[in-house]
Amino acid sequence: MPERVRSLKARLVTTMLLLFLGFTLVMYLAARAYAQRAADLSYDRLLAGSALSIAETLAVDGSAVRVDIPYAALDMLSAAPEDKVFYRVYGPGPGTVTGYADLPLVTAPRMRAGSESELPAPRFFNARYRGDIVRFVVLGRQVSQPGMRGWVWVQVGQTRQAREELAGELVLGAIAPIATLTLLAVTFAWFGVGRALRPLEYLSEDLARRDPSDLRPLSAPVPAEVQPMVSAMNSFMRRLDDNIAGLRAFIGEAAHQIRTPLAALRAQAQLTLDEEDPRQIRKGLLNVERNASRLTRLVNQLLSDAMVMHRAEVRRFEEFDLVDVIKRALRDAVPMSGDAQVGLISSVARAPMRGDPVLLGEALKNLIDNAVRHGTPDPLGLEAEVEVGLEACEDGYELTVSDRGPGIPPADRQRIFERFERGNTHSSGAGLGMAIVSRVVRSHGGTIALEDRPGGGLVVRMRLKGGS
Amino acid sequence: MKRRWWCLLLFLLVPAGWCKDYPAKGALEGTLTLYSTLDTAVFEPLVVDFQRLYPGVDVHYENLDAMPQYERFVREENEGTHRADMLISTSMDLQVKLVNDGYAARHVSPSAEALPRWARWRDEAFGFTFEPAVMVFNRKAMEGRRIPRTRAELVDQVRHDPRFWQGRIGTYDISRSSVGYLLATQDVRHSSEFGAMVEAFGDVDLQVEENTSTLLERIESGELVAGYNLLGSYARSRRDSERNLLLVYPRDHTVVLARTVVISRNAPNAALAHRFLEYLLSVRGQQVMATECGLPPIRKELDGIYERLGVSESQVGVLRPISLGPGLLVYLDQQKRRQLLDVWRAILEKPPR
Repeated sequence: MPERVRSLKARLVTTMLLLFLGFTLVMYLAARAYAQRAADLSYDRLLAGSALSIAETLAVDGSAVRVDIPYAALDMLSAAPEDKVFYRVYGPGPGTVTGYADLPLVTAPRMRAGSESELPAPRFFNARYRGDIVRFVVLGRQVSQPGMRGWVWVQVGQTRQAREELAGELVLGAIAPIATLTLLAVTFAWFGVGRALRPLEYLSEDLARRDPSDLRPLSAPVPAEVQPMVSAMNSFMRRLDDNIAGLRAFIGEAAHQIRTPLAALRAQAQLTLDEEDPRQIRKGLLNVERNASRLTRLVNQLLSDAMVMHRAEVRRFEEFDLVDVIKRALRDAVPMSGDAQVGLISSVARAPMRGDPVLLGEALKNLIDNAVRHGTPDPLGLEAEVEVGLEACEDGYELTVSDRGPGIPPADRQRIFERFERGNTHSSGAGLGMAIVSRVVRSHGGTIALEDRPGGGLVVRMRLKGGS
Repeated sequence: MKRRWWCLLLFLLVPAGWCKDYPAKGALEGTLTLYSTLDTAVFEPLVVDFQRLYPGVDVHYENLDAMPQYERFVREENEGTHRADMLISTSMDLQVKLVNDGYAARHVSPSAEALPRWARWRDEAFGFTFEPAVMVFNRKAMEGRRIPRTRAELVDQVRHDPRFWQGRIGTYDISRSSVGYLLATQDVRHSSEFGAMVEAFGDVDLQVEENTSTLLERIESGELVAGYNLLGSYARSRRDSERNLLLVYPRDHTVVLARTVVISRNAPNAALAHRFLEYLLSVRGQQVMATECGLPPIRKELDGIYERLGVSESQVGVLRPISLGPGLLVYLDQQKRRQLLDVWRAILEKPPR
């Protein structure tokens, strides 16, 4: 079972949700800042109005500042019905004229009272007073009477409850539609994804209904986004189909290959049973033995083929010395070929590389066996020299196996690497050897080529990548 | 006991101070300390009924005038000797100031929600009575004369017959009576003819008193013919025994005052204070208040407002309840108060013609 990946639906909806949440958060912060400003703006006007109406009543009576706070000055602040109200009139001396004497002073630098004629604009600020954050306004009026010159300041403050409520309402008004839209979008996405993925359901239903041997391409209509996957699946099924056909052919061929020597074997054995003469019986038994050993070789090759196929797929590679592998292959293969002379010419003492030594050994054994078996007109002749050569080249090794056989005509050289193809038809062997060699070399990322040998014969030349 | 010692001290310090203990009837839960402007006798039925519900509560009741009560409470709070759990006062403005200055605790309940909007502020100050300010006349003395129904008619009569009214019209001394001051400020606020009215009264030697009861006694005895801006509840409770008093709800507009209760933010027994406030605002408490204390209730559930006042609608003009809120702070302003009192004294001290 492959690692489970979260469903597309969940992934899409989560992404959208996160995106929208982020968006909503940004909107919330922006709306909050804006709402705060808007609320302050509207209530500040009221606050300033209150301070102004107090300032209007300022009068100087001798050496004292008089102020007659209008009822409306504080009552108009009841527009924020639950908010506390604080006020104070002070100046031009150090003392408070009336109101709360301990109100916090403006936090900003002292107002410029520079130009005499100009009225300074009301200044607003927040400050803590009696446990509440209070919004204050301060505005000044200039007095210039004999004996009293300077500025009189009117400060009015109000707690922020109504402002916060208004700001909260504004923020809610801005955020609620966005949140609703978000929810709607996510809901639509949830069902939309389901709808969009319906063709995949049809596809899987189609596949589930099929007979295991039914490898026809999928024909259900799918969206463009899914088309590459369907194409890949179809092409995979085609290859699978080809593969299965090849496998069937191979099994048929293998069965056929085994049946022929087996029939011969049976015939020989029956003939021998009818013989009375011990010498004839012995001759018959020899024939039986020869046929049986040929059968054995065939079966061995089939097994070897299967093994190579498996190992080449698994690719369990390791570090090893190619020279060792060659020597071991020579040891294993040469006794089987009787007295044939097989030489090893190596230009390197050690040939470290990365690969599967078992596979390479198997390939070499096949090549040497072939060279000895096919490549010598007379297995016992002097010119039957089989040579295994190893040379280092640019990025690896060149491994050659040469014989003095009849060679293979260039037209047949590609075909020889296919299964059940033999150089010449009347030779023994199932025609699997070269196919095995080719597969092993390819699985090691190497190349293989057949050449004519100077002075007659065949050279199998392989290039293999070297290791550390 | 420390509290009794305090009482004794207070009794010596503040002549108006009067305190009474209502010991718990059951296992003691705690002591509730009330500062109140209401006469102990008037308020007693409420305490008794409350103790019927909660026998474990010991109630300590201190009767103080509005201004001394305010000053004493603020002094105690600033000193850190938190004694009072709850303050009851006719001075709505002083109660508002307590809330505004952060001395009050929040109380949120359905009963509080049931109060009219004008009778609560910030869930901290609650008006629990409904008391119009009325004109009171001596029925016998007014025989044969048209009874003034509005302020203008009263001023008119005074202007036309100064000799009859000379020294025979009374009201609160607003420099000493907090209720009088509050009601006067409402007149200043609502009617443009306040100046003319006070001047007319001043011309006929306006008689001023600190207490409602003294004024009512003087009207009953015939010494005075009319009282202006008196709290109707006192007058009405007397009217039942004495048929000689005639109450007139000024038809131009009638100012309505609500006795206001505030729970101290640093109440030593906050839980009991909240419980008592809840009782005071409950239908049961309001009923007891209406029937046994003679104080008109504010809860709408009890009766229509006119039934509550015991008059028919045609006798009453526009009702103008004093709204709890920061507007009331204006007349507590040091300068504003001084100016108003200056005008008041100037008029009163004018030598009679």
